[in-house]
Amino acid sequence: MLTKKENLLETLHGGQPDRYVNSFEPFELFLDPIIMGIGGFAYTMKPGDTEVNGWGVTVCYPMGAPGPFPVHDQEHVILKDVTKWKEVIKAPKIVYSDEEWADTKAQIEKVDRNDKLVTTFIAPGIFEKLHYFMSMQDMLMNFYEEPEAVHELIDFLADWELEYCKELIKHMKPDAIFHHDDWGSQLSTFISPEMFEEFILPAYKKVYGYCKEQGCIIVHHSDSFAATLVPAMIEMGIDIWQGAMSTNNIPELIKQYYGKITFMGGIDNGIVDRHDWTREKIAKEVERVCRENGTAYFIPGLTMGGPGSTYEGVYEAVTEEIDRMSQIMFAK
Amino acid sequence: MSKIAEIKNLVETGKSKKVAAAVQEALDAGDKAQDILDAMIASMGVVGDKFSSGEIFVPEMLIAAKAMSKGVEVLKPIMAGDGSSSLGTCVMGTVAGDLHDIGKNLVIMMLESSGFDMVDLGVDVPAEKFVAAIKENENVVLVACSGLLTTTMPALKEAVQTIKSAYPKMKVIVGGAPVTQEYADEIGADGYAPDAGSSAGKAKEIIGA
Repeated sequence: MLTKKENLLETLHGGQPDRYVNSFEPFELFLDPIIMGIGGFAYTMKPGDTEVNGWGVTVCYPMGAPGPFPVHDQEHVILKDVTKWKEVIKAPKIVYSDEEWADTKAQIEKVDRNDKLVTTFIAPGIFEKLHYFMSMQDMLMNFYEEPEAVHELIDFLADWELEYCKELIKHMKPDAIFHHDDWGSQLSTFISPEMFEEFILPAYKKVYGYCKEQGCIIVHHSDSFAATLVPAMIEMGIDIWQGAMSTNNIPELIKQYYGKITFMGGIDNGIVDRHDWTREKIAKEVERVCRENGTAYFIPGLTMGGPGSTYEGVYEAVTEEIDRMSQIMFAK
Repeated sequence: MSKIAEIKNLVETGKSKKVAAAVQEALDAGDKAQDILDAMIASMGVVGDKFSSGEIFVPEMLIAAKAMSKGVEVLKPIMAGDGSSSLGTCVMGTVAGDLHDIGKNLVIMMLESSGFDMVDLGVDVPAEKFVAAIKENENVVLVACSGLLTTTMPALKEAVQTIKSAYPKMKVIVGGAPVTQEYADEIGADGYAPDAGSSAGKAKEIIGA
């Protein structure tokens, strides 16, 4: 039996995995001092909390919601005019002392790197940061109305993230980068593929390009439709698109981009992670997804951006059903 | 190209800086305000269809809506007091526990562009607030409730049932990522729109416009 890491690498490289990579099982996720210092995300907050993150953005986590949201009323939105971003946007600290890294490093040392991948967690990404600073509506209008300022701000964020990744790699020597940036709704991308290529692709080529040069596997989360962005994902160096929703027609994507990228997800939280979930419904959906997508370049799992679910028990039920389907789909 | 055709094109392509002047020129040339408004409404219908079919994306829809609002600003003083173009008032909000606003805002733009007077209740709106808004505003013919999370689907149900309980004849339309026609039927909504592009057509159908 292959280790979890070996099984992942076989899947990514078109080899001979002996079972499904089951959701997040090969990834040992670490929260580093930088992201903990910035705060304002699901792992530093609990439902009911409100925090101001390291960028100055007020973030609240409503009771019962699956994650936190930036607050964008007039009182809290921090960037009202994108052309003034240099006066407003101040990047948080990324350099921490060896002493401040000591706990994280000690935890990393306990990981059996033959079995699992030491994985960093970065969120929110460059596109999401833009709409943390200002409302989604204003930000998307600015792509047309103030393109130069948006380009400048994205360049600034990409350079900051590159330095951030350098620090992560220096201290953690990660095997994988798990990076969040939602690029669409369940039916469409937020911006056109052409606009994405112009504004977003160059930034990620810089950041992911560096991480890949350092030997990291790139796992990108976008729980959305993004089928039309797959060519850009490949170009920027993404190895695994995590969060691929069923609306993307994943079987067709696997066929079209065979060997160039692996799709992770397919089991939409919107379908199974609900108040009325049952084991039978989950078993049926997992079986459908596994049979439709096959075993090559596909990792079945929930589309949510981390190991867990909104409703207690759903993640565990999904992973157990994936194990059941492994027995069937990988039977010799 | 006629002035009205030019206005239609400017709205569809989101040329907000040019629309106001074009509308004024059309008025000066003798075109009727209602005809110009109808043309812009038709343009937004085209924009909605293109959005639903994936031909255009959120930014293109936003700049088109902004262009239309610039044109409407020129027409407003002329059409003031003329209620003939209004389809009535629609109250809209994202339901309790949910802070998503972009989908709601797009629907508001599309409904406003098709002739509804919109009352935006914002996000995280409790069921009772929808009911209060129906009471506080004139000529409310439709309530639109948005819910983007599986966790807020019960809140969507509560909103619809609270509204229907207080105003049994009030028409209610629902939408949002986890919502389906089946779920809309189950919770007693009168209609469901799968995306912002199709929301205006569905809303008009529900109220019989």
